[in-house]
Amino acid sequence: MNTHITSDFTPDALIIGGGIAGLQSALDLADQDLQVLLVERQASIGGHMIALSKVYPTLDCASCITTPKMSAAAHHPNITILTNTEVEGIDTRDGVHRVRLLQKPTYVNFDKCIGCRLCEYACDTEYPDPFEEGLGAVRAIAVPFTNAIPQKAVLNAEVCGTCGACARVCPTGAIEYDQQPRHLTIHTDAVIVASGFNLNAITVKPQYNAQHSQNIISPLTLERLLAPHGPYGRVLRPSDGKMPGSIAFVQCAGSRDESIGVSYCSRVCCMYAIKQAMLLSGALPLADITIYYMDIRAFGKGYEQFFQNAKAMGINFVRGKVARIHPVEDGDLSLHVETTEDAGNPMQERRHDLVVLAQGMIPGWQPSDVTPVACASDGFVATPALTAPAATTVPGIFVAGTAAGPKDIVDTIAEAGAAAMQASQYLYQKRSAVLVG
Amino acid sequence: MTLKRDAMSNKNEFDKARTGKHEELACGEPAHSDEALTQQQITLAQLQSESILQPENAKQELRIGVYICRCGGNISDVVDVERVAETVRMIPGVATAKVHTFVCSDPGQHMISNDILEENLDRVVVASCTPFLHEQTFRGAVSRGGMNPYLYEHVNIREQASWAHKHDPEGATAKAIRMIAGAVGKLRYAQPLEQIKLPNHRRALVIGGGIAGMKAAADLAARGIKVLLVETAEQLGGRLNQWSHVYPSERPAAELVAELSRRVHHDPNIEVLLGWKITEVAGFIGNFKIAAESLQPSMTRPPRIEATVGAIIMATGFRPYVPRDGEFLYRTEPCVVTLPEFIQLMQSTSQDAKKLTHRNQTIRNVAFLHCVGSRQLDGVHEPGADGRLNTYCSRTCCTTILQQALAVRRRFPHVGVFDFNQDIRTYGRGEEDYYAEASKSGVVFFRYNGEEPPTVHITPSGHAQSGALSVAVKDALTWGQELEVPVDMVVLGTGMMPGQIEDLIDQMKLATGEDGFLQEVHPKLRPVELAVNGVLLAGTVQGPMNISETLSAAGAAAVKAAAMFAREDVELNPYVAEVDLSRCCGEAQCVTQCAYEGALSIVEIEVDGEMITRAQVNAGLCVGCGACVAVCPHRAIDVNGWRLDQFEAMVEGIAADMPGQTCASELVSIH
Repeated sequence: MNTHITSDFTPDALIIGGGIAGLQSALDLADQDLQVLLVERQASIGGHMIALSKVYPTLDCASCITTPKMSAAAHHPNITILTNTEVEGIDTRDGVHRVRLLQKPTYVNFDKCIGCRLCEYACDTEYPDPFEEGLGAVRAIAVPFTNAIPQKAVLNAEVCGTCGACARVCPTGAIEYDQQPRHLTIHTDAVIVASGFNLNAITVKPQYNAQHSQNIISPLTLERLLAPHGPYGRVLRPSDGKMPGSIAFVQCAGSRDESIGVSYCSRVCCMYAIKQAMLLSGALPLADITIYYMDIRAFGKGYEQFFQNAKAMGINFVRGKVARIHPVEDGDLSLHVETTEDAGNPMQERRHDLVVLAQGMIPGWQPSDVTPVACASDGFVATPALTAPAATTVPGIFVAGTAAGPKDIVDTIAEAGAAAMQASQYLYQKRSAVLVG
Repeated sequence: MTLKRDAMSNKNEFDKARTGKHEELACGEPAHSDEALTQQQITLAQLQSESILQPENAKQELRIGVYICRCGGNISDVVDVERVAETVRMIPGVATAKVHTFVCSDPGQHMISNDILEENLDRVVVASCTPFLHEQTFRGAVSRGGMNPYLYEHVNIREQASWAHKHDPEGATAKAIRMIAGAVGKLRYAQPLEQIKLPNHRRALVIGGGIAGMKAAADLAARGIKVLLVETAEQLGGRLNQWSHVYPSERPAAELVAELSRRVHHDPNIEVLLGWKITEVAGFIGNFKIAAESLQPSMTRPPRIEATVGAIIMATGFRPYVPRDGEFLYRTEPCVVTLPEFIQLMQSTSQDAKKLTHRNQTIRNVAFLHCVGSRQLDGVHEPGADGRLNTYCSRTCCTTILQQALAVRRRFPHVGVFDFNQDIRTYGRGEEDYYAEASKSGVVFFRYNGEEPPTVHITPSGHAQSGALSVAVKDALTWGQELEVPVDMVVLGTGMMPGQIEDLIDQMKLATGEDGFLQEVHPKLRPVELAVNGVLLAGTVQGPMNISETLSAAGAAAVKAAAMFAREDVELNPYVAEVDLSRCCGEAQCVTQCAYEGALSIVEIEVDGEMITRAQVNAGLCVGCGACVAVCPHRAIDVNGWRLDQFEAMVEGIAADMPGQTCASELVSIH
């Protein structure tokens, strides 16, 4: 894998973000013999998708779909990958984008590191593992996760006690405690913004009291609990390790809600809640599973059938808005729900021992802060062109995936291909014009 | 009339040696299809010579290198990898067996290529993770060592041994040993193979001139690729020509059609055929022979053309659902109309009109019914003429209905609007605003359960004041009250149906899903590709999509074609069937069983002046499924890389007694 560049390197295209959108765009450009530089701020490519358990509607294991694309990008002769790298800004002049990058120190020389993990085994400082959503622990120096790319150790300077144990055991002398941040500026003709999404805070709705109960969890935490190589290898609730017997999914807990400034639909929550409910009913056959929803938005290919299958499996779908959640005794939770089911008793109190809040999708990065790319009123990158959905307000800068609004993996992959197509035709046109001119 | 097909033949170079090393046969010198041996050139002497398909014996003095990966503990925490190495080293032919923490890392790969050169290895096994992940990686490492990459076997001892049997280290170790022994056995009979390279005609055929087809064509042309666009109608634009405004931008659909059709008509790389129909498609990726016929032949128009294209983009779109006669009183009552008909009505109504009228009747109250012809349930809805229920969601109707409902409220504030839905699916960017605005503007929403859809009735005479029609619904929002809403007009929110392209589906052997739309290979791994190589999907031919999703899908299809055309040749894997001409009797049982049109045929060949019939494989169309191998009574056909002798050797390798343990005793211990 090519991870070495200097400012002399002038790739045809630079892709911001190594999640599924950025990977797909990179592969589709590189397969056209274009040189691509992919920058990722995390220690591994793979984005959110590599941490998921299974993906709807096929219930494929997420790793099985993501790792081949990660591996293909890593081994592609036309793709260079920089991890631990942030985009500090883009200046666009005369059709050339000068992209200022900051390569953060990893305190490990990637040329020397062979990914043997001896440093990880020798380190005795641990902190909550971000890949496991904080459920497990990871050493201060570690390869980020099992199928991370690159398979290189990264040292977390915030928790490291510089005891020197890693440096002593490293067989190749790769540990460099004095590594410095590196700035470099890359000149390129085309940029694809594939910077992805974040979830809004689980505490965004104070009436749900997520700050007062460990058993009100994020859907990404449940993904890790459901993953075959997850932190516990089975589904246990965080507060006391009990196997949950009654699980509630509260939909639209961070979307379609003007009171929290997210009026749009996050588009994926209905389907992942249905998927997680199905996986839970496999993992915990005796558990009651309820999805509280306003509208079930199973709009994609095969999605409606997936929803109907979940109903047939016995998952409870309750049309109603959850007004409040309160922690009660034994770590359980009491939900106040207005349902449309019982005319005599519209306001009901229901008790569950694990609650999953469908947090809303918000932009993962605000390019408008440091680049000329404009964002729309929803905060995501604006795409004003009528017939070119991946075009931003700046010629030569394109957008793919959830950077341009919430969407699922299937739609992200299609859009990433379209962004690559637009970038490649832009490059072709630009260069033909130069040749003619 | 049939199109002439290229006489692709078994292209293995008969006389080349079976050595493992790069010689004149090595990767660099692929056989081109036109250089490939055609069967007409075969002499009797060759037929009688030793058959290449029956390697007289496995090469005895092999030097096989086996590399066992710890996968950083993923494997070695369960499988005793050192014992695996010790044991497999004793298998005859294994020259070296080494363990490494990450064989896939650069140092690991370097070890392999180095050993090939220095230890003179001629076969390599890597026992590690799934081949999906790293088979290509290790083929590359092996090639860098100067070995043919198909003399490499990948054994998955992670998913299939350490992960699957993590509570049984002894059994997992024994299984890993046996799996490697099987691979070693298979390698004994391996022969060097070459990727099949076929010429690539750098021109795409786009079938359909709606927005998907126009977008795909325009994108490819702007990338410098020639395109032939064939549309049955006399104008470009497809269904969008009957549309008013596009959500969420609210720009006229005509603007979008105009912009794309201008690009299509003005790009010299695009040849547009309007009023033409594709009548024949044959051939394979890189080399499709197609024919089109004019639907209205004239003096200036030839009745028929033929062309060769490298890729085909299917952009034939959808067909709107048309309710059955009497379904919600459609075609019984003139004021029951479909959503496209209502859009036409709104568009043909003057912007200055004070009243909304239909057939001289003033509309004072209008009802919109969602999910007509979509989300159908067994036992609730009647199947269509083809016996199929449209169980899917049509994805676009919710927002389109709200867009129209809002337009009615804005243009005709005195007209009441009633919306009957089971869910509102305004999922896309900017779509939720339509729902919020519609609610604010006074649209009244009713919600039904899918099992109890609303019904439309004619109100008894005397109620003309409140409308001639009524919609009855069991409304969930009022806890199941049975309500009846009098209206003058009912708009049926009709969804999308698969287009009528049965002729193309049959001819091109395209896969359709349960929903009747064309079926991609995999929704995430190969989302715009069909199982037939070189045929791509753009837009609603694949399933319901809105306009921006259609444009993205068309771009995604175009980029796959562009990547394919970046290569001089089309490269296909060499796992295709090959006929042993000395054994084949021309009985054609293989041809009967073959599921891939044109992959196998019976040809007449001349041998020393005598005509004989033999089976012939078209390497471009064969997928290597092996159905032919199973039925041939003479064992005259085999799949390269997966030949019967290789399977037998694998089984023998797996079942052989291992040093210190017999197979039978081990099986007992595993159970």
